[in-house]
Amino acid sequence: MNYPLWSIPGLGGSWAVGLISVIHVFISHFAVGGGIFFAVTEYLALKRSESNDLTLRHNSEMLYDYLRKHSKFFMMVTTVAGAVTGVGIWFSISLVSPDGTASLIQTYSLGWATEYLFFVAEIATVLVYFYTWDKVSKELHLALAQWYAVLSVFTLIIINGILSFMLTPGGWIESKAWYEGFFNPTYWPSLILRLLVMLAIAGMYSLITSARLKASESEDVANFRAYMLKYSSKWFIPVFLIGPIVGFWFFSQVPQAVITNIFTGIQSSGVGNFSILARAIYLSLILSGTVLVFALVGPYLNPRGFSFGSAVAFLVCGLGVTSMSEWSREMLRKPYVIYNYMYSNGIRKADLETINKDSFAAFSKWEDPDHIGTSMFRQQCMICHTTDGYRSMKKLLGERDLEGIKTFLLMMRETDPEKNSYLNIMPPLVGTDKEVEALAEYLVTLKPVKLGV
Amino acid sequence: MLGEISETTFKWLDERLSLSAVASAAGKKKVPLHKQSFWYYMGGIAMLLLAVQFLTGILLMVYYIPELSSANSSVLFINSQIDFGWFVRSMHSWGANILIFVLFAHMFSAYFMKAYRKPRELTWISGLALLILCFGFGFTGYLLPWDEVAFFATKIGIDIAEQVPLIGGILANLLKGGSEVGQGTLSRFFLLHVIVLPLGLFAIAGIHLLLVQLHGMSEPKSFQAQAPEKKKYEMFFPDFFMKDLMVWLLAFNVLATIVILFPWGVGPEADPFAAAPAGIKPEWYFLGMFQFLKLLPAHIGFIEGEKVGLLIFALIGGIFAAAPFIDKGENPKLSMFFDIYGLMILIGLIAFTIWGYLA
Repeated sequence: MNYPLWSIPGLGGSWAVGLISVIHVFISHFAVGGGIFFAVTEYLALKRSESNDLTLRHNSEMLYDYLRKHSKFFMMVTTVAGAVTGVGIWFSISLVSPDGTASLIQTYSLGWATEYLFFVAEIATVLVYFYTWDKVSKELHLALAQWYAVLSVFTLIIINGILSFMLTPGGWIESKAWYEGFFNPTYWPSLILRLLVMLAIAGMYSLITSARLKASESEDVANFRAYMLKYSSKWFIPVFLIGPIVGFWFFSQVPQAVITNIFTGIQSSGVGNFSILARAIYLSLILSGTVLVFALVGPYLNPRGFSFGSAVAFLVCGLGVTSMSEWSREMLRKPYVIYNYMYSNGIRKADLETINKDSFAAFSKWEDPDHIGTSMFRQQCMICHTTDGYRSMKKLLGERDLEGIKTFLLMMRETDPEKNSYLNIMPPLVGTDKEVEALAEYLVTLKPVKLGV
Repeated sequence: MLGEISETTFKWLDERLSLSAVASAAGKKKVPLHKQSFWYYMGGIAMLLLAVQFLTGILLMVYYIPELSSANSSVLFINSQIDFGWFVRSMHSWGANILIFVLFAHMFSAYFMKAYRKPRELTWISGLALLILCFGFGFTGYLLPWDEVAFFATKIGIDIAEQVPLIGGILANLLKGGSEVGQGTLSRFFLLHVIVLPLGLFAIAGIHLLLVQLHGMSEPKSFQAQAPEKKKYEMFFPDFFMKDLMVWLLAFNVLATIVILFPWGVGPEADPFAAAPAGIKPEWYFLGMFQFLKLLPAHIGFIEGEKVGLLIFALIGGIFAAAPFIDKGENPKLSMFFDIYGLMILIGLIAFTIWGYLA
């Protein structure tokens, strides 16, 4: 515990990171999927412009016109909102989980730097792409779109290695060789899955801009609008055809303990406290099914009846699926931030024994000797819990008195799964008996005071 | 080959069911497009939620035991031991609440759009009857898990029913099936919930849907006033139907999300000999009326306060239900009166419900 921590009352740090991250994911996936969308659609427009068929040539003109408008929306969303939320993630994770962030930086310094270079090149290309409409040849403009697509895919190729490393560090745990952690067991399924989702998200955003075309202007625009809506809906086909197979591949690579966690959650969904991961997966599956049927009965089968409002509702569903899937992925790692290496509260698995023997105070640079209990709570619990907001300790402690809390905390310190049933979702508590007692004394003050009769 | 088989099958069915005629009628049906078109989806959402209620209700009956010593534990068993039993039960409980909310929205939107006017008077009346039946489903279903809150809330509900002038005593006895709320009540409520009310619902919903098909979608006054060339319509098949499917999907998602995030729990088993826990309240859709009754004094003149309250409800509801027979669209002042009348009922209902919740 080398760093101070950020306390966000009520909401909790994990939610602050989560909210920023989900928005960023939705935008960054659009940035990559959208790049491919532009490259493919502009290629179609170019080929059609060379055709002898007048209808196709006319369609090509409208496609160019559409792409020109859509690229403004694309540039604004990805460069401004994407960059702001991207920096927001760094800012929030470094305050909420500084040790975890430090580990990622130390292990992948070169990776982050390379990703940043690709990102800068990507931003520069999209700016050039937007400002060179009608100023360079069609062929060169298409080459810019293709170049942008390649650069953006490379940002994914790098960041995917680091993200999937956190869930399945693979051989890195033993060797500490970066490439073993980078090309870890879930690297490839995760990469393919993300690419497929990115294509779908590109289609989703395209539905928004296509739905905004005014069908009332002319029959020509109405026809093109219907064409674009149907075309955009086809970008969902890859994820729904290949996605489930890659999904199975992904789950076949995650640790067995994670699968056991999911099944425990499924079995106890009606009553249990261990079902949050299962619930996130249910929601993700139900919303994915909705998006599929929505795309089919909406823009694909009835493009003329697909309004802007429907496109927004569709986008909200898409955001729901993305949020739930990302949340599920984050939850799969529980109780670790880097699986089998560092717990979510920043304590390394390898340090458990030393801390329990020496004391948490000796390990933490930020422990206040006058408020040991408070320090223990802030450094070991606050990453996931708040005092009286999200995952409220006040609520979770229930009717327990000081002795009850102490007994519970001692159980939480056990590292044997037979003795500590929370081990699969929560890090074990660390510290000496005195420190555990101090934490119990602090926690008991959170309980509402009962007036005597 | 496949085309030949499907053609022969269609011909066989067509000769017996006149499918071509149905398809041709459906093909002609148009839906007006205007700013209030959104409200047309409410009926469809209600139908979807009703289907969810029937399906989940049948599944719950597989394990539910309508017997005093087993009712609560059987619901607990469904919630905790049966694979996805919690999901089915929560879909049923949450679905019922959302259904009633949607029915309220459907009723008030039809009311304010004056959709009750000629020739749709019977559609309006059958719709109101469906809402009352759904209240019945809610009241009878609430007791079935036989938990503490449901038990005492039902007792209060039956006490109120007893105050209905003239037939109150008979009604309360019929519902209770004995001197106290017990096995007799549970059996009767179960029977009402799974046999009597569904039969009534099927019959009236059938009439309601038939009338909707017969008269088509009602057009609000602002739409009727438009010049014919400005009026926009879309075909029911496939355009509106496809949109309906999308709205159903969204509604189903809202329900599923609530169910997954907030599964419906089971309270402690009812103990008829225990004192009623503090703050017993009925379901939210009865809460406004309950709060109003609570405000009345024990006696108003020589009549019991609750009796007066029920008479007031009957009067307010009676005028509301009779709207199509009074407000026929010929008198603008009368039309305005019913607009204000409906608005006052809506505001009153919301205000008393919130008051009841906070009280």
